[in-house]
Order: sequence, then structure tokens, then C-alpha cells
Amino acid sequence: MATFRLQGSRVLAVDMSGDAVKAKNGSMVAYDGQMAFKKMTGGGEGVRGMVTRRLTGEQMTVMEVKGHGTCWFADRATEINLVELRGEKLFVEAGNLLCTDAGLHTGTHFTGVRGASQGNGLFTTTVEGSGQAAIMSDGPAVVLRVSRQYPLTVDPGAYVAHQGDLRQNLQSGVTFRTLLGEGGGEAFQIRFEGEGLVYVQPSERTTIAGDV
Amino acid sequence: MPFREINSKMVEATVLPGQRLFSQRGAMLAYKGDVAFTPNIQGGQGGLASMLGRRIANEATPLITVEGSGTVLFGHCGHHIQVITLAGDTLYVEADRLLAFDGTLQQGTMFMGSQGGVMGMVRGQVTGQGLFTTTLKGQGAVAVMAHGGVIEVPITPQRPVHVDPQAYVAHHGDVRNKLSTALGWRDMVGRGSGEAFQLELSGSGAVYVQASEEKL
Repeated sequence: MATFRLQGSRVLAVDMSGDAVKAKNGSMVAYDGQMAFKKMTGGGEGVRGMVTRRLTGEQMTVMEVKGHGTCWFADRATEINLVELRGEKLFVEAGNLLCTDAGLHTGTHFTGVRGASQGNGLFTTTVEGSGQAAIMSDGPAVVLRVSRQYPLTVDPGAYVAHQGDLRQNLQSGVTFRTLLGEGGGEAFQIRFEGEGLVYVQPSERTTIAGDV
Repeated sequence: MPFREINSKMVEATVLPGQRLFSQRGAMLAYKGDVAFTPNIQGGQGGLASMLGRRIANEATPLITVEGSGTVLFGHCGHHIQVITLAGDTLYVEADRLLAFDGTLQQGTMFMGSQGGVMGMVRGQVTGQGLFTTTLKGQGAVAVMAHGGVIEVPITPQRPVHVDPQAYVAHHGDVRNKLSTALGWRDMVGRGSGEAFQLELSGSGAVYVQASEEKL
């Protein structure tokens, strides 16, 4: 299986011996040895995956990198975090996914109104199986643990990814004060309940909620 | 003259009497002691002939001569800085990536076409770096700028390294470079992997690669 390691916090090195990884299109910065780059049709599994991707807008352009040697990946100097999956499912925005083990399955998941408030659309990408994945964040991400006793509330703009058995719902802090223009600036939050991990970045995307 | 890394975006140089160093215009952040900064209209050393060479080659980034005694802090536009120490070998780097370098280093320009022939020239065009590059040779330290941090990848005769032309920063050693293409019919119909051109570096030395595909 391909080995993922971080070289600094912004470059991902993947050691491969005949195996393959799926990576964001154009994210290779250097390689040694022998590598082949192939664009994957629609970035999903089969025609069905392609169609869903087209429809949902969670369209990642993904390439398959296969070979012997080391391949280095980076994307616009964003911070990279390694996630180890052991048969679990990781939910991540397509734009934040840099590279996954070829053995991991990617799919799309309906997020409902949460996605819309986040400015990310109504769908999110899922990564499932056993292997490693590399996700990107604006600044180094923190991993926050959620347990039954301690639910977690996150700013939609700072949310990057989550894994584990978590339920999420959107909370609104919109009151009559918000309407008067005296809101707290945190009109929407996502609340996570259950057992799992949430990746949060030290930066906020521009969201609809940010204007409220 | 060594550079001391203060953090990833700032370096400190110690200037001693009788020694000088060159820096890019506007790169001085602060200094202590008695230090003089003179604009270098020739854009480096080597007299009139090499100045003309640089003008023609479009590698004439305005430089400042730094002399005196004291310490100077350098940094530019929040770019990441990498200090490269040369021990008699040649560093190949774009002039606009040079932050500061030891005055004892010999500066020159190299025609890209002289390495790799026509492909060398195509390389300059593809990478947007033009047909010429700056060379620095000798014993001393060079501070180069990059977007988002740099990794050093060793090149050995057994293991040539391929680099994305946009992520390439500099290289040193006895290295040949050529542009390799992975262009297939897929790329022509707009279904490429996004990695159509690569810079192939072979020989022995090292290449510096930045964590971004953005130019400075």
C-alpha cells in the first residue's frame, strides 16, 4: 500500500511501489522513479458516479497516479493533514481533498441545508474504506473529539471534514437582534452529536451566514 | 557570509567590513549597525558586458549592494525563504526569486537553449521563465524566495527527478534538465490529468520545489 508522509506541513510525499493513489488534478509538484498520470472519468466510480457528480456539483477532477518511487503533492501552499481510515467513512468537501489511497471509495452525500449555509452547496464528498487520505485546510487544522457527553458546535465556515458516527444539524442563532443588525456575527452553527472527530481550520470561508 | 534563518519568512545577514552582499530592491526589513545600501544600476557584478547580457536576457532585476558592519534583516512580500549554501558548485535560479546573496559569488546568465536544445527553449516558454536564467557560482550562501515553503529533492544518476514547471524554484549541481511531455490525445480533447509538462532533471545534485503551483 502507498505510504503517505508529510514533508513540512504543506507538501505530501507518497511512496509507491507499483500501487496507485487518487489525487486532485494538477497537484503533483515533483516525482522520482516512474509515474503515470491518468485522468479519471468524472472522478467517481463508473457512469453513475459521474452523473451524480455532474448533478451535485461536487465534481472533483481527479487523476490516478501509479508507479514506483516517490511523488510529491501540494496545492497553493495550503496546509495538509493526514487521515487514517480503518473501514470508516470520512466526510469532506471536494475542494479540501488532496489525495487518497486508490483503495478508498469516494462518493457523494446529501447534506441538506447545512451545505447551503456553508457556501459549499448541498452535497459533500465521502471517502470510505481502509487506507490513508490527505485533506487540505487554510492554516493548520485542529482535530476535535466529539463524544456522547460532549457535543460540539462548529462555525460552518471553519468546518473542513468529519469522521465517525456523528449526527449533524444546523443551528440558527438568528434573533430579532440579527434583523436589527446587532447580531453576534455567528448566525449559523453546525452541531455534531455522537462519537467521532471533526477537523476545524483556523480560518473562515465566506458563507451566507457570515453576512447575517 | 552565512544567513541566519529567523523564521520561515525572514533571514538575518551579518555584514563585515570589506565584505559585501547583494539583495533585491525593497527586501531590507531592518538593520543594526553602520550599513550602507547603494542601488546597483548594473544589476549585479561583472562589469558592463555582463550588465548588457542581463538586460538582453531580461534577467536584470534591480539589486542593492549592502556594505558596512552590522546585521541586516531581509524578507520580501511574505514569501517563504530558503537558504542554499554553495560549496563551489553552480546554482540555477530565476533572477526575481533571488532575495540576497553573498558578494563573493559569481553571477552570470545562462541561455536555456544551451541545455536540452530546442526543448530547453520550449521549457522557458512553458514555465513562463523566459529563455535565460541566472547562475551563481562559488563558495557562499544564497537566500531564495518561494511561495509556501520549499522541499529539497536529491537527484542521483539512478534517480532522475521530474518537477512541475510551475513548482520549480532552483537547482544546483551537475544536472541536466529537459522538458518532458506526457501529452497524449486525451490532453488534446481536454481530458488531461493536468500534468502535461514536466521538467526532467538528471545527473547529481538537488532541486528545490515549492509547495505551490503559483509564481511569485
